[in-house]
Amino acid sequence: MPRKHDDRRTFLKSVGAAATTVGLAGCAGLGGGPERDTFLLGAVTSLSGDLRFGGGVTQRGYDMWADTINREQGGIEIGGDTYEVEVEYADAQSNPSAGADAASQMINDGADALLGPYSSNVTLSVCPIAEQNSMPHITGSAESPQIWQEGYEYSFGTIPTVSIIGNEATSALLNLEPQPESVYVTGVNEPFSEATAVSMRTAAEDAGVTVENYELFPRDTDYTNVVSAAQNADPDLHLHGGHIGSHVDLVSASEQLGYTPNGFLMHYGVNTGSYKDGSGAQAPYTFGATVWIPSVDRSGGVLFDSPQAYADAAEAAYGSAPDYTQAGSTAAGIVYQEALTELNAAPPLSQDDKDELIGILEEIEVNTFYGDVTFEVGGEYHHNNINTQTLLIQLGEDGSPTIVGPEDAATGEANYPVPAWDER
Amino acid sequence: MVDIGLFTQIVINGLLLGGIYVTIGVGFSLAFGVLEVVDFAVGEYVMVGAFMGAVLAPLFGAEGVFVIPIVLVVFFAVGALIQPLIHHVTTGDRPHPLLMGLVFTFGLATFLRGGVLTIFGPNSQDVPSSLLTGGIAVPGLGTFPVVRTVTAVFGVSGLVVFMYYLYRTRGGMAIRAIAEDRTNARLMGININRYQSIAYGAYAALTGSAGVFIGMTFNASPGMGLQYTAFAFFMVVLAGMGYLPGVIIAGVVLGLTQSFTAVYISGNAVLLVLFAIIYVVLLVSPAGILGKGEWAT
Repeated sequence: MPRKHDDRRTFLKSVGAAATTVGLAGCAGLGGGPERDTFLLGAVTSLSGDLRFGGGVTQRGYDMWADTINREQGGIEIGGDTYEVEVEYADAQSNPSAGADAASQMINDGADALLGPYSSNVTLSVCPIAEQNSMPHITGSAESPQIWQEGYEYSFGTIPTVSIIGNEATSALLNLEPQPESVYVTGVNEPFSEATAVSMRTAAEDAGVTVENYELFPRDTDYTNVVSAAQNADPDLHLHGGHIGSHVDLVSASEQLGYTPNGFLMHYGVNTGSYKDGSGAQAPYTFGATVWIPSVDRSGGVLFDSPQAYADAAEAAYGSAPDYTQAGSTAAGIVYQEALTELNAAPPLSQDDKDELIGILEEIEVNTFYGDVTFEVGGEYHHNNINTQTLLIQLGEDGSPTIVGPEDAATGEANYPVPAWDER
Repeated sequence: MVDIGLFTQIVINGLLLGGIYVTIGVGFSLAFGVLEVVDFAVGEYVMVGAFMGAVLAPLFGAEGVFVIPIVLVVFFAVGALIQPLIHHVTTGDRPHPLLMGLVFTFGLATFLRGGVLTIFGPNSQDVPSSLLTGGIAVPGLGTFPVVRTVTAVFGVSGLVVFMYYLYRTRGGMAIRAIAEDRTNARLMGININRYQSIAYGAYAALTGSAGVFIGMTFNASPGMGLQYTAFAFFMVVLAGMGYLPGVIIAGVVLGLTQSFTAVYISGNAVLLVLFAIIYVVLLVSPAGILGKGEWAT
């Protein structure tokens, strides 16, 4: 019969050997990973939680880029060899701290660069992680101006900040006849929505229009109270910053209480399937803001010939029409593709390669189906692509968007003032 | 200076919002009072009911109202089938039966939420209705949104029916006897499993139907359940644990507080004020606002 301490000794030896093996494996991982013949992009986005709809949109955008370049070009060409692109996802769980953890995980997994999350809230927590680890990071979604005001050196964004989108869309709406004299501004109390509401308020104030009220509410507020207060103020326009669920609740409560200003402008996402599905018969005539829709008149470029070609490809792949977040996410991939080609370094990227990549991104000019992408350097929009034109859209009876402003981009007439609820 | 028109409209909004909470609180309070089950799945029953409305309404001329009888029957049957499982995990030699019930229903809630998310995806779905649209303007008072008014009437009617059944029928007497003392009820010849299944089925039916109304009022979303679970807990604490008539008072208090806080203080202060009320009630009157419920321990 074996003695008890012999068993213990054997056990301790086994544990020691296992720990050493695991430790060595871990060290190998921290060293940047083994040789790869693919570019590894770590994508942090919300695959669960409240923001999973938007997370899914960014995921489709990133996948659209990776699948297309791998299928059509075999990947990214470096020095005569072609390297496929691999996008690895980490779930931000709609939660900033989980997003930061997910970004750290991607960096520890040896990603060559990061693709950013959906929502400004989560992006604001991922940017510092990219900065601390000197990791290139392009987001195809986040719009809060706060991200760019921080002056992060390693983070970039393809979608213009909402302080520009919200402001320009509001200005275009305020130019419609009869010109509004008063607006009522509401928003959800979180960074992106607040920035949207502030940009709308600023545009109205700059245009000399009376702002009857400006107020933020929690996401799950009961909108009958918001609407009753607005109805009492009787504004010409109601401007709202928030995500899709809050838009749906706002129009539902407005229909129930018969609140009909001359128009509702809401941002983000009125031209998404989620808004149309959620608000049903109340969706038509809503105004929204975007920087891209399939019918926009822009030249094509790298990977996709035109906005419509991209939309058709996305529809075929996923069965749903892409919105500008999906397009901006695909554009983020295309920008990486062009920058990596210019860098001309095979994967995995060294830290020097990553630093050099940042310099390339700061000077890059890429013509895409989404529009021309260049990043600001310095100032309040540091590393944000602010060149893409904002479009004011309005949903038609069938829920499809028409560009109704600004004048030089409009493809149709606005239905304005919008008909009362009982006249639709 | 308070605008009278806005003030009366806020009162209407608050009362009708309270009516929506009553539809959920009635069944939840019944389940707790009679079955001694703290049902964490209550919000998910609302959510599944709303999705049934979204899916079935197009088959009935895009009218959610016509779906309600189907939801009542389906949820009653499903509730009656689930109850024996809850009974199984909350009785016998198991320690902390209340906690076991809570854990079981938490698992059920997770399963329902995950199932709907997998089948329908994350998007919200409209529950259409052409009958319950718009509002009725009453001069001097304000506008009564039709769908919310009907929902509130449904909730209060549900409460009255439950009260009648519990206090005016032999079946109700049997259920109250079970709530009082299961062992003695069994010795008196009451079929405990049958009556508990009826009670849980009725709770599920009312809550699922409330989901259709809530879907018509707002929309159906896979993530909506948790909010209603939280409000159901608020309701029973304010009403007094297991005290059905207190549910109406609790609904009115919650609805009016939410509305007045949102308009006259700040939308951001609503949850703060609601939680403050809950804490004060728990400290001062653990048996609910009317002091007639079981003590919250």
